[in-house]
Amino acid sequence: MATVLQKIVENHRYCFVDEEMDWKEAIRRGCIPLVEDGCVDPDYYKQIIECVEKYGPYIVFDDYVAMPHTQENAEGVKKTSVGLMISKKIVDFGEDEFGDKKEAKLFFTLAACNPSEHIDNIVQLTSIFTNIPLLEALAKAESGEDILKAEAEFPCEEEE
Amino acid sequence: MSKLDNKKMLACCANGAGSSLMMEKAVDKVLKKYNVKVAELRHCPVSEGKSAARNYDVVLCARTFAKNFDDAQKAGTVIIPLKNVMSAKEIEDALKAEGLLD
Repeated sequence: MATVLQKIVENHRYCFVDEEMDWKEAIRRGCIPLVEDGCVDPDYYKQIIECVEKYGPYIVFDDYVAMPHTQENAEGVKKTSVGLMISKKIVDFGEDEFGDKKEAKLFFTLAACNPSEHIDNIVQLTSIFTNIPLLEALAKAESGEDILKAEAEFPCEEEE
Repeated sequence: MSKLDNKKMLACCANGAGSSLMMEKAVDKVLKKYNVKVAELRHCPVSEGKSAARNYDVVLCARTFAKNFDDAQKAGTVIIPLKNVMSAKEIEDALKAEGLLD
């Protein structure tokens, strides 16, 4: 079965951004590959921004990883999918209430309407997000081929 | 027997779809490592978890959401706030610190 990263590349659900962006623009741009592939409606990003405004930048994890998402069966979701935006510049989400800086370069945008596919995506993403050499290689990627090469070079441990 | 055997555990995040599921998977990994069989392990949004929390023995959440569970904590639920919701290690250490794992 194809991995999350393979599906991202096969379906062209990825993009690269060279210029600086604020976090709202980053969330909007990160949704574009999913919009173009018919996975989500063009307005999907607005719900994600609302969530971050309401709850803070909890979607930003360590190691420059962000996982923009809303709830399962959110309005405007057509296909369970993951998109990847690689930003060459660090996107600043400010500090959380504990004074931790929240910054991201890799945006794994989630859309969910099928629970079992979504769980499979989350399990795989958890492995990716804890695979630091892979994250570093992805941050340097400049093509779909680079994304696949990064995964081949730094594979995630198989979940039993 | 672990102190967590037959306990009910809940993982909460804002939407109940992303990080709470990651937490549930990370908790599951820790429980397997220690061969613990809990009665229940599920995830849900904070909005639902807030009132459900008191029916659980342990609630895990990203630390930014911990304040939602003050009432449950008073009622005896163990609240485990996490800095990194994907970290099985952090969950393992936190459960040990609460005396729930040996």
